[in-house]
Amino acid sequence: MIAASIVVVFEKSLYDLIRGLRNHKGNEKEYIQNCLKECRAEIRSQDMDLKATALLKLIYLEMNGHDMSWASFHVLEVMSSPKYHQKRVGYLGAVQTFRPDTEVLMLATNLLKKDLTTGMPTTIALPIAALPHIITPSLALSVLADLLPRMNHNLPAIRKKTIVTLYRLALVYPETLRAAWPKIKERLMDKDEDPSVTAAIVNVVCELGWRRPSDFLPLAPRFFELLVDGNNNWMAIKLVKLFATLTPLEPRLIRKLQVPLMDLIRTTPAMSLLYECINGVIQGGILGDSDNTTGTEEIATLCVSKLRSMIMVHNDSNLKYVALLAFNKIVLTHPQLVAEQEDVIIDCIDSEDMTIRMKALDLVQGMVSSDNLVSIVSRLMRQLKASSSAAAAIQRNGSPLQDPDGVSDDEASVRRPRSSKADQPAAPLPEEYTTDVIGRILDMCSKGNYEHIADFEWYIDVLIQLVRVAPVPRARDYEGESSTPSGKHTTDVSEKIGDEIRNVAVKVKDIRYAAVAAADSILQQMSTESSTNYISSGVIKPTAFVVGEFWSQLSSPEDTLGYLLQLIPRTKYPEALATCLQASIKILAAVAGDEQALWTPERKSRISLLMARVIHTLEPLTMHPYLEVQERAVQFAELLKLTAEAVSGQAAATDELHQDPPLLLTQAIPSLFSGWELNSVKPGQQSRVQIPDGLDLDEPIHPNLNALLATADSLGLPVAGEEDEFDVYYNQRPPPTAIANEPAINRLAEAPEEVTGSYQRAGEESYLDPDIVARRKAERRERNKDDPFYIPDSSTSPGRSTPIHNILRHENGPDLDIDSIPIMQLDLEKLQAGLDEPATKKHAIRPKPRQKILIAADETIPSGSVSAGPPTPRQYDSENNNSDSFTRARSKKLRASLLQVDSSVIGSLSLDPDKQPEGFDYERQKQEDAEMAQAVKEVERLRLEMQRANERIKVAQGVPDEGTVLKKKKKVKKSAGEDDEVKTVKKKKKKVAIIDEGGGAEGSGPGVEDGTGEAAAKPKKRKKKVVKLDGEGEVTAQP
Amino acid sequence: MINAFLVFNGQGQPRLTKFYTQLDTSIQQRLISEIFTLVSNRPQGSCNFLPLPPLLAASGTSNSSSEPHNDVPSLVTYRNYATLYFIVISTSTESPLALIDLIQVYVESLDKLFENVCELDLIFNFETLHAALGEMIVGGVVIETNLERIVAGVKAQGTVAKRPVNEGRTSGLGAGLGMGTNFVWTGR
Repeated sequence: MIAASIVVVFEKSLYDLIRGLRNHKGNEKEYIQNCLKECRAEIRSQDMDLKATALLKLIYLEMNGHDMSWASFHVLEVMSSPKYHQKRVGYLGAVQTFRPDTEVLMLATNLLKKDLTTGMPTTIALPIAALPHIITPSLALSVLADLLPRMNHNLPAIRKKTIVTLYRLALVYPETLRAAWPKIKERLMDKDEDPSVTAAIVNVVCELGWRRPSDFLPLAPRFFELLVDGNNNWMAIKLVKLFATLTPLEPRLIRKLQVPLMDLIRTTPAMSLLYECINGVIQGGILGDSDNTTGTEEIATLCVSKLRSMIMVHNDSNLKYVALLAFNKIVLTHPQLVAEQEDVIIDCIDSEDMTIRMKALDLVQGMVSSDNLVSIVSRLMRQLKASSSAAAAIQRNGSPLQDPDGVSDDEASVRRPRSSKADQPAAPLPEEYTTDVIGRILDMCSKGNYEHIADFEWYIDVLIQLVRVAPVPRARDYEGESSTPSGKHTTDVSEKIGDEIRNVAVKVKDIRYAAVAAADSILQQMSTESSTNYISSGVIKPTAFVVGEFWSQLSSPEDTLGYLLQLIPRTKYPEALATCLQASIKILAAVAGDEQALWTPERKSRISLLMARVIHTLEPLTMHPYLEVQERAVQFAELLKLTAEAVSGQAAATDELHQDPPLLLTQAIPSLFSGWELNSVKPGQQSRVQIPDGLDLDEPIHPNLNALLATADSLGLPVAGEEDEFDVYYNQRPPPTAIANEPAINRLAEAPEEVTGSYQRAGEESYLDPDIVARRKAERRERNKDDPFYIPDSSTSPGRSTPIHNILRHENGPDLDIDSIPIMQLDLEKLQAGLDEPATKKHAIRPKPRQKILIAADETIPSGSVSAGPPTPRQYDSENNNSDSFTRARSKKLRASLLQVDSSVIGSLSLDPDKQPEGFDYERQKQEDAEMAQAVKEVERLRLEMQRANERIKVAQGVPDEGTVLKKKKKVKKSAGEDDEVKTVKKKKKKVAIIDEGGGAEGSGPGVEDGTGEAAAKPKKRKKKVVKLDGEGEVTAQP
Repeated sequence: MINAFLVFNGQGQPRLTKFYTQLDTSIQQRLISEIFTLVSNRPQGSCNFLPLPPLLAASGTSNSSSEPHNDVPSLVTYRNYATLYFIVISTSTESPLALIDLIQVYVESLDKLFENVCELDLIFNFETLHAALGEMIVGGVVIETNLERIVAGVKAQGTVAKRPVNEGRTSGLGAGLGMGTNFVWTGR
């Protein structure tokens, strides 16, 4: 006795622990480690009080992130304590810390069963409340028999907890429902049942309802009754939700529900119920199908107007949010109703509240049209611009808000003053949001093959700006398989932007020059800034493709080639690198391979230098680990070396002697890249291309390929004379006559086609960087400078500012294009109409560029040319990334969400008693499974013994230790896997065998208990493996 | 259903964590810190709903408008009382506005149990916190929303300890967690 009291003196209570934590600010880590050490000792003690206190402390520490999985056995010990307050701690420990892989759970079964059947209501409640947290199919099977009678407990508190626990049991073990549902139904129909039990049942039914609505349809009258005179708003909310899932199955319900729902909407003082009623009306399809519009008109307008006032009138952001949620659902079925609310919804985009913003964006995305696209995108661009400049400012000044390091405890209440945040209107947006918004902008603009875009130049400027504000992608693997789950949706938004530039360049020929110029400027910017770091931006790849493919639109191909050559050594990702290589060779071919130009000494030396530079860049890449890069580098380097030789061998033309440039340069290399023009192909079409007759893709290329490859390896690579061109350059004096290398007219001929069209771009400056705006203006001036009808900007020629000009400026903004007035078509009859007012006039003179600009559609293979049968067996997946993204999306779906409860099995269970005349005997099932478990155990034990014997023999024979270990591992795994697979197949067979053994089958209960002793201790390890495998099987089986 | 119920303070220190599915301790902590980052950056007057934290957004479908009912947690509701944040993570079967009320009921019941509850009460009596929550939510399903019944249910399990005398606060939180100063939905 004395000893015990002394111990009590030294032990630390939870109160002491927390006080200690608060007194050890600064070196908490050390303090916690000490506490953990103490707890480890205390929890092993024989004194139950000490044990329970230690456990409570551990649970507290676990809440703060200190693992206590090692203590799971002690949790079990405390759970089995006869004293309620200790038992409660034990159960809390189990709820908080047991994980799917906690082994001792098997040992808890009997304890749970025992506690479920005690007389103390408080004790009964403990296992009931704990079961949902630790439930497994086998546990559900074992406790079901003890749990079911608790449905009739005289305390409503126990009854309702039991009902909910039964529901959670049913999720992992659907057969539960067969036994439990009749009883639950009975309770539900009982009008004298405690209202809170009824409410709990409704909650459970609501959860089950969407999984298997048809089961609950017969109960609709009772639900209806509860809805009308339930007088419980919480329950009414759930009932409305439930009805929304039932109405699609039973359309007659709609008419019945209309009246009470409308009554509720009109009368309820509870905003939550009002909202849920509206929501129910929307989701239940009560808004009206196309066939019966009588009466539903009224409902629809009432709902929508209520939602609108939620956004507008109430200055309550919660209502704003839920109204947007509801609109998001309406928009699926009644887009025109939502479109009418466009004004209030678009205002929500600029809400300070991120949650509201995102929801509004969801909506807006579905509402884009050519009328509002520019204004919506402008709003978003302004946000992004403000955010990125704010981020830049913070980088300059250091972080403005330093979080207190979080160690200071609780009520000391070092709350960060909120005002400091309010002072900063434009805090940088989180990266995820930025990425998301950029993605949405791109989606909105490219929607329907760019059907909403009127001004592609504007779009390209937006794209350039987006590249600048796009967050730098995080590091990723070479293969593009990100290991972090969050990496998936942030994978490089800048590549998506680049893809858009590419798409515009390919699809919209009229505007190609602008897209190419944009790509050029992006590459230029990339090559000049941050010259030391690796560039990981994904925008390089598509832009490099654009400049390479459409080099003829480049203003200065040589400069662009220079940018590319600077970028190549610094590009991080091999796919981008490969594209850059290809592009640079294309441009080189264009620059150097001009057939017409004379082969002057200048040209010769210039080309030699250029090629030397390219070869110099390529050379290091010939050893690149990524094959795609290596192959291109090797090919091009060798080709260029050959060409360089030819160049140096071909004497330059002089005044007397005419010399052609080397054919390799002017014919061979350009012919590599000049083929058909590339058009966009609809995703999936490539796989429909039929294999031509006579092409056998399975035939070996060469009958003796391996031998060929072997001989190729032994061949020495010829070394190209690199010094030659330098020799030529330094030793040969160039002739004095300088001839222009390219006639100027050529360039003019290729000058981009002018596209007229300029509108009011009010506020463009607010989201485009100044240099982009300046360039736009300059371009416009340049385009119009020879135009006699164009009145130049007053700032450039102040003398010509006239009153009319000023008026016009005032009226139409600074960017008015007078030249687009169709002066030549002076139609006197229509003159009158054109003079009405400025607004209509503006409309009249506005050119319709959309009619002019042709957007190429994706190419498809006409269905006639494709055989009716399945497409060609080969899938050219590498060619179309769409299927790739499709599989990625699918695999994403396969991965179950965090916190998600898997309920996929419950849907398949049939509750209909008619279909299963025998009913379900869960007792029998239970017994069978117990036998099964025992059989498996027995088999394992025998195998273990055999294995041991085997090992002993091997050791005796002197087989090295390592060998046996390896073998053992393999064997265990294999056998476990076998068990898992064969389990179901062999079930019957094994059962028969066990039953044949006689007596053991019946005593399955005690048998398991015995197993907890010595027998269970040994095969523990193997059991764990089986359990793990089981887990894997579940994961993969999820749909 | 409700997937998790969390309470943490203004520094992100957890005061109560309850996950209705089993989750690794380290992932729990990550989730808490992600939510804390979200919740602590809310401008004033924001709504009580958070965008999904990256951990949840990555695995679930963020815009589940195509399948309105599913098992995926899609709603993070929070309320701020004095120094504490109360968080509920739930699926779309729960009503957003009702969840705001639910948190209010929980805090009111704590207030009743502790008489002018403050953060200290929660720190030193986290068992009672669990007990009160257990009377309201079992296995992620709401079983009780009536204040008296919840309080009675907790009291039936034994006496509720008071906060240590010498740890009492003199100011600020004495007025409870500031209940009623926030809006209350009428007519629950």
